[in-house]
Amino acid sequence: MFGVTVYAVDRSDPYSTQGRSQPGLSYPQTHHLPPTTMPASVASSNPSRPENLIGQLNSTHTSYEAKLKALRDLKNQIIGNRTKKLAFLKLGAVPSVVAILSSSAAAQDGGGDNLEFHESVLVQSAAAIGSFACGLDSGVKAVLDAGAFPILLKLIFHPNEKVADAGARSLKMIYQSKLAPKYDFHQEKDMEFLLSLLNSENENVSSLGASIITHSCQTAIEQQALSEAGVIKRLVALLGGSLIQRDASLESLAAVVKDNPEVASRLVLPENGRELNAVIELMRDKYPRTRLLACTCLINIRNTYVSYLQDSGIKKELILILLELLNDPGQVGDEAPFVLSNLIAEKEGMQKLAFDASIVEKLCENLQKGSFQAKRLQGIFLALADLCSKLECCRDRVLHLKVLNFVTEAFAHDSAEVRAAACIFLKNVSRSVKNLSAGHFMNETVAVPLVQLLYDSCSFVQIAALRAISNVVVDFMAHKSLFVQCGGVKQLVQLSRSMESAVRVNAVWALKNLTFLVDNRCKEEILLELSTSTLTSLLSDPEAPVQEQAFALVRNLVDGTLNSIDYVFGDDGLLLHAIGRQLRNTSKAEVLVQCMYTLSNVASGKEHHKEAVMNQLFPQTGNDKETILVKFLQSSNSQLRTAAVWTIVNLTFPSSPGACGRVTALWNAGIVSQLKCMVNDPCLDVKLQSRTALKQLMMFGDAST
Amino acid sequence: MPVRLVEASSPSQVSGTTHGNTLPQPCSLLSVGQAFSGTQNVSSLQKDEAWRVNVRIQGCDLDHGYLCGTMEALNVPMADTPVVTFWEGEIVDTKNYTFFTGKWGATVTGLGIMSRVEDDIKHWTKFPSFPPLLSQVEADGGKSLDLSNYPYVFMRWKEQYFVNVGTDCGLTIAGFYYVCFSCSDGSINGFYYDPNSSPFQKLELKSTNDGRSGFSFSTYELQ
Repeated sequence: MFGVTVYAVDRSDPYSTQGRSQPGLSYPQTHHLPPTTMPASVASSNPSRPENLIGQLNSTHTSYEAKLKALRDLKNQIIGNRTKKLAFLKLGAVPSVVAILSSSAAAQDGGGDNLEFHESVLVQSAAAIGSFACGLDSGVKAVLDAGAFPILLKLIFHPNEKVADAGARSLKMIYQSKLAPKYDFHQEKDMEFLLSLLNSENENVSSLGASIITHSCQTAIEQQALSEAGVIKRLVALLGGSLIQRDASLESLAAVVKDNPEVASRLVLPENGRELNAVIELMRDKYPRTRLLACTCLINIRNTYVSYLQDSGIKKELILILLELLNDPGQVGDEAPFVLSNLIAEKEGMQKLAFDASIVEKLCENLQKGSFQAKRLQGIFLALADLCSKLECCRDRVLHLKVLNFVTEAFAHDSAEVRAAACIFLKNVSRSVKNLSAGHFMNETVAVPLVQLLYDSCSFVQIAALRAISNVVVDFMAHKSLFVQCGGVKQLVQLSRSMESAVRVNAVWALKNLTFLVDNRCKEEILLELSTSTLTSLLSDPEAPVQEQAFALVRNLVDGTLNSIDYVFGDDGLLLHAIGRQLRNTSKAEVLVQCMYTLSNVASGKEHHKEAVMNQLFPQTGNDKETILVKFLQSSNSQLRTAAVWTIVNLTFPSSPGACGRVTALWNAGIVSQLKCMVNDPCLDVKLQSRTALKQLMMFGDAST
Repeated sequence: MPVRLVEASSPSQVSGTTHGNTLPQPCSLLSVGQAFSGTQNVSSLQKDEAWRVNVRIQGCDLDHGYLCGTMEALNVPMADTPVVTFWEGEIVDTKNYTFFTGKWGATVTGLGIMSRVEDDIKHWTKFPSFPPLLSQVEADGGKSLDLSNYPYVFMRWKEQYFVNVGTDCGLTIAGFYYVCFSCSDGSINGFYYDPNSSPFQKLELKSTNDGRSGFSFSTYELQ
């Protein structure tokens, strides 16, 4: 994509002003000339003001010394000062600085006088450009747009060490941003160039090579290419270098092996991972950032190559090191919880180790310290969420330490990422059935602000809130009416009409959970808000997962007291007919399971309920070549077979007066012979209940003869 | 807040053993929302007494052999209202839990201190569905048994706290139940074990369904 030669070199006479299209250096001056064309107002104001500095850089009348001074001044003002950077950016400082860089670079090539001067300019302008790019995407964009990149690239092999350093450092700043140009590892020429960087003795240049890899290595093919070119060996060697080299190399190694077991094996297998011992040592380095990067690198390798790091000693050490890094007040402490998440996510064993090392207490301590940068707060909540994802002991501990108090605050945070992270944490903590039963979540402190998040402007926050609410509403202490009162149902119903399917499915999921074991008064409130017509359209939603949740909701509605079954008969049996229709229209097993359970629940009612179910299963009209009930009994999905068998058990329940007629119909539909095949079904439920159903069917004698 | 027993360790847990997929399969009648009613016989030498009992399953996590729910005792002489407790269950799946309890109090009887294991066996044997498993259990606690297709589920239920009354209600939840559940008809039999109470108080429940002619199943799913 680009190499050493691809950039525009202005080889025109640096002393000529004719034909120049951009502002730049003027004649080499031997004495100061007062700027004769300067407007009076500028001359009288503070020469350090951004506009003035830029003016001086642009002007053809400013002396070399003055320009260098202006450049230094500008650089000193912007370093570490985001506000100043933005101000200078807005005034167009970057093109001016890049122009000066370009001129001096060209002047160098052309030979000639003032080498020292030009080198100073190169150092200062490169440093200024690097500073503009540092941590500021708009700065990176301005720098790239102004054409700085190729010029800087040429500087890194400059004979003057200071110039090379400045160029390399500047490029490293650019490469920390996603906006940096993507490096092409497939071009042999470019790979060679990269290796030459890695092999450089200059620590800034070699670490630049590593940074390029960290930024641009994204696909498995690229990882493979780098590995084959011998990059890994070089990176491992850099682990023994200076601080800058070590840190850059650690990040780079992680990028090269991430999610690529084959490439990872080249590190892990030789001599039992001897090369990785250097990384393990760096876990214990005196610099916190190095320790963090080493941990990250090891964790990435271990997540990629699962059998690596089985030694629980190292696992425990990783946890303890991260525990201690959480204390760091700066960026390292901000990132530590994310690295911890990476270590423990989805791994119950690691979560237990972390719990035993009192990580929960440490994270809570951090929360108690008070308001943090949003990033750290987000990280802490996500780490706590991972800890509580599977382990009841973690959830208990977290509740005991009263973390829920911080959750309420976090729901109102300015940062959407923090709000979402708090919701994810709440979702995981509320997986505790024990605590749901004790009513710890459905109270005003938690439920009310959580419902407010359903109105959040960011949809990913809404979705996170919906998922937390899905759990929280499974409250067994009959606090569900609180949820209705604070407008929760209203908003859930509103969100069930969202254009975004992820929002719809989670809204309906929450409604389904809300209707579990809920009393009739609450059911009526829900139906009033939802309306049968909305519910019916959800039953035929374009997305099957939404349908599944909607049918499960209806299933719950018709459970409970006997008269609950009447809900599906309202509006001329609108819901019941929708169920019957969907039984024939859908092929998705998960949806069919909920349909059948709904019918099964209806069939546990009175005579007319059972008859209505029969009509749905065996319509008078229609040309079902094969009875759908038989089809379901033969399904490979055991849940569907189970639901179908329960329906038959209910339809043929002995005490019901009309059972005989239904039994005949079922015999005629071939149900009995089908059930006889199922008495040894691999699914225990199906096996046992087929036998029950057969017993009930046989009670009425062999009606087929 | 009600008295809760917090267990620091669970010696009856079997860790590190793998039996493939031998966890009990989900049994509809033992799923969340299911209700049972019947009696607990609390007879002593002085009198014959039985409380009506209702049980509801609230939570179920088969991967961890965990079950929980509420138990409601009616016509309890000492109380004005029905007494509700929250209980947690250990499912004997030979992966998470075995037939050996290993906790919740040693037994002291007139014959001296009985071993925990003997106590366990004595109670499990009172269930007619247990004897076929006895020899294996005596050998290794039943660790090598595959109960996934057995039409009965064995559990221990431990009440953790009172939901609607204070601890001074005069009732105790110090003991636990040995429970046997029948997958085919949802009937539950249990024996309350508490060294300070009369032995073998029997719990007998049947699956109920709000006056329906059949079985109804509700559902929730945690995210």
